[in-house]
Amino acid sequence: MSIKVSRHFVLRKLHQLTGILPLGIFLLEHFYTNSKALGSVSANRTGIQLFNEAVGDLQSLPYVLFVEVLGIFVPLIYHAVYGLVITYEGKPNAGSYDFGRNWLYVIQRVTGVILFVFITFHVLNFRFGLIPGLNTRSVAAHPDQAFQIVRGEFLNPTILFVYFVGIASTTFHFANGLWLFLIDWGIAVGRRTQRLVGYACGVVGVVLTAIGINAALAFIH
Amino acid sequence: MADTVRLKIKRQDGPDTSARWEEFEVPHRKGENLLTCLMDIQKNPVTADGKPTTPVVWESNCLEEVCGACTMVINGRVRQGCTALVDKIEQPIKVEPMTKFPVVRDLMVDRSRMFESLKKVHAWIDIDGTHDLGPGPRVAPDVQQTRYVLSTCMTCGCCLEACPQINPRSQFIGAAALNQVRLFNEHPSGALHKDVRLEAIMDDGGISDCGNAQNCVQVCPKNIPLTDSIAALYRETTWYGLFSWLKR
Ligand code: SF4
Repeated sequence: MSIKVSRHFVLRKLHQLTGILPLGIFLLEHFYTNSKALGSVSANRTGIQLFNEAVGDLQSLPYVLFVEVLGIFVPLIYHAVYGLVITYEGKPNAGSYDFGRNWLYVIQRVTGVILFVFITFHVLNFRFGLIPGLNTRSVAAHPDQAFQIVRGEFLNPTILFVYFVGIASTTFHFANGLWLFLIDWGIAVGRRTQRLVGYACGVVGVVLTAIGINAALAFIH
Repeated sequence: MADTVRLKIKRQDGPDTSARWEEFEVPHRKGENLLTCLMDIQKNPVTADGKPTTPVVWESNCLEEVCGACTMVINGRVRQGCTALVDKIEQPIKVEPMTKFPVVRDLMVDRSRMFESLKKVHAWIDIDGTHDLGPGPRVAPDVQQTRYVLSTCMTCGCCLEACPQINPRSQFIGAAALNQVRLFNEHPSGALHKDVRLEAIMDDGGISDCGNAQNCVQVCPKNIPLTDSIAALYRETTWYGLFSWLKR
């Protein structure tokens, strides 16, 4: 028999993979950098210093353009657009079949759509400073002012609220996506394993939400 | 008030006509199932407000949840009419045909797509001819045990009805056909065509269209571990997808 792997299968597998690698890893890195805004008592450094330094370091990475485009933007756009295609192919029915997993199925798609809008906003707002009426400076181009730019935005309660929703959607989508990935790639197979892995992903989600929100709050203290 | 059962049934005269609701009130019998009520309507096809109507059409055979023919949506959930005991469900009993299959008439739907899917995934074991092939290969008892449950599928359609990934916008074949792939791939003779089945479910509408809502395993009346089957196939197809092309 001739071996043929269908295009459909490859596209789906890539969608599942990009969610974890690189996007999931990038999310962890992003939260790590954000948390620098908390400052360090032992090193006697303020959040402003640490965060701005971290932004500067990232900008001076070798091949930074290459990493940013191929490592983040391309997979992000692929995951987002193909995710919308997948969302379109589903017809949620959690009203009649209100099982826990079915709700997670719905929320995964709802947060996916929220993230499509939120991440577009977030990238334009901070990476490029292109949202009319808001910040006009690119954080990446002004590492020395990075903290102040973010703080300026977060002092507006509406924007802060948008970011809280965005962060919570991201961590949910990632944690549940991790569970889905482990099943889709045939790693968590048995029912018991799936359940335990589910709890573990739940813990990952809760911890990441706390880290994400706490880092955001550090900018307005 | 006399001891009666109240029903609200979704009626449709043919595949292309529009649907309407009709209410019925039929005598109550202790321990009866929903199909008994439908038989009462058949005997006296008059709605609750006294208007004569046509008898409600439905399908059923075994009356013991083995054939899958009387699958319908009862009070919003898909199940078999024969095991829907009237004393245990809320009234008025809302009865509708399944929504994921074309309606033939009233509660009778056309489940052909499930049989088409079985053909698509090669859900059988090939034999070389009609002559005596001798005894088949021996099967280990634990494999027999696993396969036995998988083999009890009656193609009733509950798992498709409850699946959010089954709808006109998607080509997903559903849990039942995927489960059959595992059933036949785990048989020593069936395993000879393992790759054919794996490639079939890796194509459009196959396993990667599963959204892991896992409703199938909740509604399957035969308690088939459908999500285990799907997850096992995820492992096989991922492996196949990652490494098979290296053999080219
Ligand atoms: S797997 Fe279960 S729910 Fe699906 S068709 Fe077979 S018996 Fe019905």
